[in-house]
Amino acid sequence: MNTVAVRARRTPLSEHTIMPPCQVACPLHMDIREYVDLAAQGRLMEAMQVIRSGNPFPSICAYICAHPCEEACRRGQVDKPVAIRALKRFALEFGGDRMIEVEAETTRSERVAVVGSGPAGLACAYYLRKLGYPVTVFEAHSEVGGMLRVGIPRYRLPREVLDVEITRLTKMGVEIRTGTRVVSLDLVFDLGYRAVFLTVGAHQSLRMGIEGEDGAGVVDGATLLRELNLGLTPALGERVAVVGGGNVAMDAARSAVRLGVPQVSVLYRRTRAEMPADPREVEQALEEGIEFQYLVAPVRVRTREGRPEVTCVRMELGEPDQSGRRRPVPIAGSEFTERYDTLVTAIGQAPQVPDDFHVRIGRGSTIQVDPVTLSTNRAGVFAGGDAVTGPSTVVEALAAGRTAAGRIDDYLNHRYPLAPSDSEEEWMGDLRPETVATIRTTGRLEPPVLSREERTAGFAPVELAYDCQTATNEARRCLRCGLGAAIVAPDRCASCLTCVRVCPYHVPYADAEGAIHIPFDQCQACGICVGECPAGVIALRKAGELGQVDEELDHVLGSATRVTSKPMIVGFCCQYGVYGTGTLAGLWRGLKAGVWIVPVRCVTKVETGHLLRAFEMGAEGVFVAGCGEQCARENTGHWMRQRVAKVKRVLAQLGLQPERLEAFMWGENTHDPTEVLDEFAARVGGFYLDSVLLQEVKR
Amino acid sequence: MIVAEQKPLEDIIRMVRPYKKVLLLGCGTCTTVCNAGGETEVAFLHDALRMAEARAGDGRREYSEATLKRQCDPEFLEHLTERVEGVDAVVSLACGTGVQALAERFADLPVFPGVNTSFIGMAVEWGVWDERCAACGDCRLEDTGGICPITRCTKGILNGPCAGPKKGHCEVSPDMECAWILIYRRLERLGQLERMRRYYPPRNFRPISRPRRIVGKAGLEARGSHGDVTA
Repeated sequence: MNTVAVRARRTPLSEHTIMPPCQVACPLHMDIREYVDLAAQGRLMEAMQVIRSGNPFPSICAYICAHPCEEACRRGQVDKPVAIRALKRFALEFGGDRMIEVEAETTRSERVAVVGSGPAGLACAYYLRKLGYPVTVFEAHSEVGGMLRVGIPRYRLPREVLDVEITRLTKMGVEIRTGTRVVSLDLVFDLGYRAVFLTVGAHQSLRMGIEGEDGAGVVDGATLLRELNLGLTPALGERVAVVGGGNVAMDAARSAVRLGVPQVSVLYRRTRAEMPADPREVEQALEEGIEFQYLVAPVRVRTREGRPEVTCVRMELGEPDQSGRRRPVPIAGSEFTERYDTLVTAIGQAPQVPDDFHVRIGRGSTIQVDPVTLSTNRAGVFAGGDAVTGPSTVVEALAAGRTAAGRIDDYLNHRYPLAPSDSEEEWMGDLRPETVATIRTTGRLEPPVLSREERTAGFAPVELAYDCQTATNEARRCLRCGLGAAIVAPDRCASCLTCVRVCPYHVPYADAEGAIHIPFDQCQACGICVGECPAGVIALRKAGELGQVDEELDHVLGSATRVTSKPMIVGFCCQYGVYGTGTLAGLWRGLKAGVWIVPVRCVTKVETGHLLRAFEMGAEGVFVAGCGEQCARENTGHWMRQRVAKVKRVLAQLGLQPERLEAFMWGENTHDPTEVLDEFAARVGGFYLDSVLLQEVKR
Repeated sequence: MIVAEQKPLEDIIRMVRPYKKVLLLGCGTCTTVCNAGGETEVAFLHDALRMAEARAGDGRREYSEATLKRQCDPEFLEHLTERVEGVDAVVSLACGTGVQALAERFADLPVFPGVNTSFIGMAVEWGVWDERCAACGDCRLEDTGGICPITRCTKGILNGPCAGPKKGHCEVSPDMECAWILIYRRLERLGQLERMRRYYPPRNFRPISRPRRIVGKAGLEARGSHGDVTA
């Protein structure tokens, strides 16, 4: 073994990141950590590109994704999950997503038909187009989008957003035939299509199975929403009751409010804790004045004077059922009767697949498919989306569409289907309570919403986009799971315990043999130990993070040394806070000194060598500007000051004024960046003048 | 562990001034642990020296960096034979032993110490090291409750405390706790206060003549692997 390490300051660590829980939980496995980090730096266009690369219709997800990522987010173990969906919307809206055009070329001759233009169908069409296939989408309704169009109300998903994505798709060359109901798959094959993707959705409302369910004034939620979304204005009367506790029930109830119904009630047979609807939806529904009656179930409907008279029974919660929720049990003799103008039933939906498709139907009227290939019992017929899973989320449907495109490609190439790509990842465990205790809690910042009056007046989008500062602060809450530090050359680790001592989260530890371990699932990737390790054997698990400061510094020095007319000042500026996003560059344009900004992702990445190099290349002054008390990590400012103090000592030994180097931490020694930096520039300018005069005198 | 601290930069600059190609050599053991001569410090010194030259504007020296596992063992030094070819001088960031081992192995090469070897001690926290052992060769810790008066008493007295401690602190270095009061407290906890009543005669420096050598192996004749006399 060669023990000589020649100027290997940091052993490069190839991409060895661990998939974070959010990405694992996302059916599309989007690179959430990456785009949240870019959003935190205000690099919105790049964030938008990352989002776009992992999702065919990100702007739709930005509004209505059920965000399983947030459920998995480990920030939730500290305070609340990062608002990933809202950040995605922020990044897309301000990152220029609307300007994006997707191109596709036809390189294949096999035509593929997609039956149904819901999210699964459109996603499949998108990816098949990208693979070069000519694709036709058949849609029974007059408008494209499936549930996105006829199920989801406009106040949750503005139609312009949907239209932009669909226009993009047609520009890619996807042919969409609306008002075309497919009645037979044989016919589709006769038309020359070589493969079919069935995504007919789950539009058929389940029946309650009670007396009088088909009477006047009783309507199911899916039908109500469909009529409403296709431009009709259903007359609902003065009093409306919605039966059910899911998102469709919420959509129906909240739509009723927007149609001007003064009194809307939701009847749910369990309690709020068991409701499957998104809690935020429930919250907003309550704000809008919707009355919730829990532990109530209708047992009989009678039509009196053309209006439904509903008899309900009160329930109590019994033993848990298969779903893990406690089963509601009727309380004998608790019946009561109420009169409504309209009763909306929204207790679930199922697919309705024509018999003539001749595909095998399984439990809950869903199409049976092979879970890996998504193929049905008929050759060349694939299926996905709600038609296979029963009512599910948009992101699940998009993922199914993407998988289907891949499997159809395999089928048409006579290729053995590739194994599903999401092999068992190294799953990140929970944060230890000791780690949680050391992480600073910063409350989740929600995007603003319209006031109750503005909301209920019409179908305007309820949620607004973040402002820049709020979004940046929210994005900074990300714990960067799986990017943590690793000892890259254990043989050179001296077990000096520096990392153990400097870690603000008490993550590294020494085992009984004296070897140091840094558990990857506890590390917060703050980077302090990386800079402090005296053996230089710790690196963060992300290519690009390594050497980023060196590259930026080289770049800056390369340009700066060519400008000789002004004294050069180099500033290492944290990209996450007030000094980031180009704020300073703008402020400094009028100065006498030439200020060159080296963007850094947290000041802990700036090492003593970087500071010295700036001076070596002729900088008259160097400063480090960190986000200080705004920092999402602990002690970053402290360690920056340690390093600055060390370099100041060297400067003094070399006969340079230590005041040429300064650390500015937001909130610690400044609340006004311009003022302190102006002062610093003036001071450095003075030193510069002195040294120039001294040289003149010497001559 | 041996604790050292880097020499002032001007000293190192002065040492290397006459040379063109200089190797900065770190040590991966003690001086890495005490933040004085590991890979990171080697790199820092390199940057500082380069900057010094850039600022002074004098002829550019060529610096290179390397770090050995340990400089105080001849086998590790063998890995340097190629690296020192064409090198005019070496600045070693190892303890004094490492510097000497280098000088011994590379007889024609000027070798300079980049650190001041300070003491045998321990880290009390990150970045703070305290001396604990004077390597006197005559350990008395069994009588003093595991606290060394030779090292930790400013006066090094064997029958303390002196009359000077104030509130448990040394009269000479008021920041330091009085070693003998620490010893008293510790013996009290151990129920061995009778040891305080004993008189400890002055140390016998005779067996500690310098330089010291320890022979751990038995004094047998060198033999081959089969037990035959080789020579």
